[in-house]
Amino acid sequence: MQGKRNFIAKAAETVLPAASIVLFLLAWEIFVREGEIAPIYLPAPSSIAVYLYRMIADGSMLSNLGITLLRIFVGFLLAAVSGVLLGVLMGMSRILARVADVWIAALYPLPKISLIPLLIIWLGTGEAYKIVISAVTAFFPVVISTYAGIQRADRGLIKAAKDLGANARQIQLKVVIPSAVPSIFAGLQLGMGVTIILVVAAEMIGGSSEGGMGYLLINAGQVMETEKVFASLIVLAVMGALIIKLQQWADRKLAPWASLDNDR
Amino acid sequence: MDVVVENVSQVFVGRHGTSVVALDRFSHRFGSHRFTCLLGPSGCGKSTLIQIVGGLELATSGTVRIVDPDRPDASRRLGADSVMMWQSLNLFPWRNVIDNVAFGLEMRGVARAVRYEKARALVASVGLRGFESHLPGQLSGGMRQRVALARALIMERAILLMDEPFAALDAQTKIVMQEELLRIFDVTHKTVLFVTHSIEEAILLGDEVVVMTARPGRIKEIIAVDLPRPRSVEMVNSKQFGTLFDRVFHLIRDEVMKTMEQQAAAVGA
Repeated sequence: MQGKRNFIAKAAETVLPAASIVLFLLAWEIFVREGEIAPIYLPAPSSIAVYLYRMIADGSMLSNLGITLLRIFVGFLLAAVSGVLLGVLMGMSRILARVADVWIAALYPLPKISLIPLLIIWLGTGEAYKIVISAVTAFFPVVISTYAGIQRADRGLIKAAKDLGANARQIQLKVVIPSAVPSIFAGLQLGMGVTIILVVAAEMIGGSSEGGMGYLLINAGQVMETEKVFASLIVLAVMGALIIKLQQWADRKLAPWASLDNDR
Repeated sequence: MDVVVENVSQVFVGRHGTSVVALDRFSHRFGSHRFTCLLGPSGCGKSTLIQIVGGLELATSGTVRIVDPDRPDASRRLGADSVMMWQSLNLFPWRNVIDNVAFGLEMRGVARAVRYEKARALVASVGLRGFESHLPGQLSGGMRQRVALARALIMERAILLMDEPFAALDAQTKIVMQEELLRIFDVTHKTVLFVTHSIEEAILLGDEVVVMTARPGRIKEIIAVDLPRPRSVEMVNSKQFGTLFDRVFHLIRDEVMKTMEQQAAAVGA
C-alpha cells in the first residue's frame, strides 16, 4: 500500500511539470480559437510555432541570437575578470577595501539602466555602449560576492595552514582564495543573470539597427507582429535557461567539493 | 624535545572590557618522548595552552621554550618543532587526500614527485590506500581523522600537539583511532601534548595526566600513568586502570561542578 502510494507520488512528480505546460498551451490555443481573439493581441501557440519555424528557417533568429550571445559573453567576461580581481585585491588590502567600499556602497544601489542616456551620449548606440552597460551592472554582484567570500575564509583553515608552514602569500593563494570559490561562483551566476537582462534592454533602447534579440523584439512589437514577439521571447527564455544551466554545470565540474558536506 | 612552559597566563578581553582569565600562571615541563594528556573541564584553557605552545597564539604573559635535551642552550623558534592536529580537523575541502597530506611539503617547496611519494606512503600507513584522490567531503569521519593525522605526521616534527582530535568520533571509531595513535607513538616516540576531556582516553594514552582546574586554568594535580607499553584498549578493564580512573575522576568531578556553577552564574547574570 505504502509502496504503491510512493510510486504514484513519484510518477506525478515526473509527469506533472511537463503535463502542466502541455495543458497550459492547450488551454491557450482553445481560448484564442473559441474566443476569436485577434492575433495582434494574443496569437495562438500554433501560429507562434509557425512564425518561430520561419524565423529559424530564414536565418534571422540565429543571426540575432548570435549577436546577443556575443555581447553577453564579452560583457560578462569583462565584469567577471574585473570583479573577481578587485574583490580579491580588496581581501588582501584593508586600505583598498575601505576605499572601494565607499564607491560600491554609492554606486551599487543605483539602477544601472538609468546610466543608459549618459552612456549613449558618451559612447553612441554602438557595441561599446551595450557591452559597457552590461559589464558595469554585472561587475557589482561579482565584486561584492568575491570580497565577501574572501572575508569569510575559515579562520581554522588559515591557522592550520600557518601551522603547516605556509607563509602569508601562500595562505592567500592556497587557502583564502580557494575557500572563496563557492561565493565567487554565486556572484558570477548573479552577474550572468543581470548581463543577459542588460544586453537585451540595451538592444531595445537606442533604436540601433545592429541586430540582437532585443532589437528583434522591439522591431516586431512596433509593427504589431505579435507572433514574432512571442517567438523571440521563447528563444530568449530558452537561451537564458541554457546559459544558467551551463554555468551551474561548469561550477560543479570546476569545484566539485563545494557541493559536498564538508563538516560532517 | 622538551616543552618548558613557565608562568604562562592568558587573559581574553571581551567586548565590554570584561576580561576572562583562561590560563593562570601555568608551569610545566613536558618531557621528551613522553605522552602527556591535558585533562580538564571545558573552558579551562587547555586548548589555548597548546596553541600557545604551537606558536599560533601569543600568551598574555609567561614563556614557552622548546628545549633539545642534548643541546639545552640552543634557542628554537616556537612552532618550528611542532605540528597541530585539530578537533575540527581543518582539512582543506578543495584538496584531495594526497594534496591535503602533502600540503606542508608543498609549502616548503618540495618537488611534486617527491612529496607525492612521501604522502602516498603515509596515506597507506594510516590505512587509506586507494582513497588518495578522494575529497574530504567524500570520506567518513574516521577516514578524515586519518587524513589529518597523516598530514601532521608528514611534517616529521618532534612534537605533536593534539586538540581533542577524537572528540567528535563515534565510540567504535574512537577506539580504532586511539589504538592507531598508540601504535604510532610506540614507533615514533614523539613528544605528545594531547588535550582531552575524557578521563578514560587520558589514562589509556598518556604517560602522565595533567589535571587542570576550572577557569582560570591551573594545574590541579599531575598523575603518573604507570601502565606498561605497548598499550591496548583492553587495559581499560584492568584493576590498575580502574584505580587510576577513580583517582582522576574524583579530582575532575569537583572541577566540573565548579564549571557548571560558573556557567549557571553566567546565565543568571
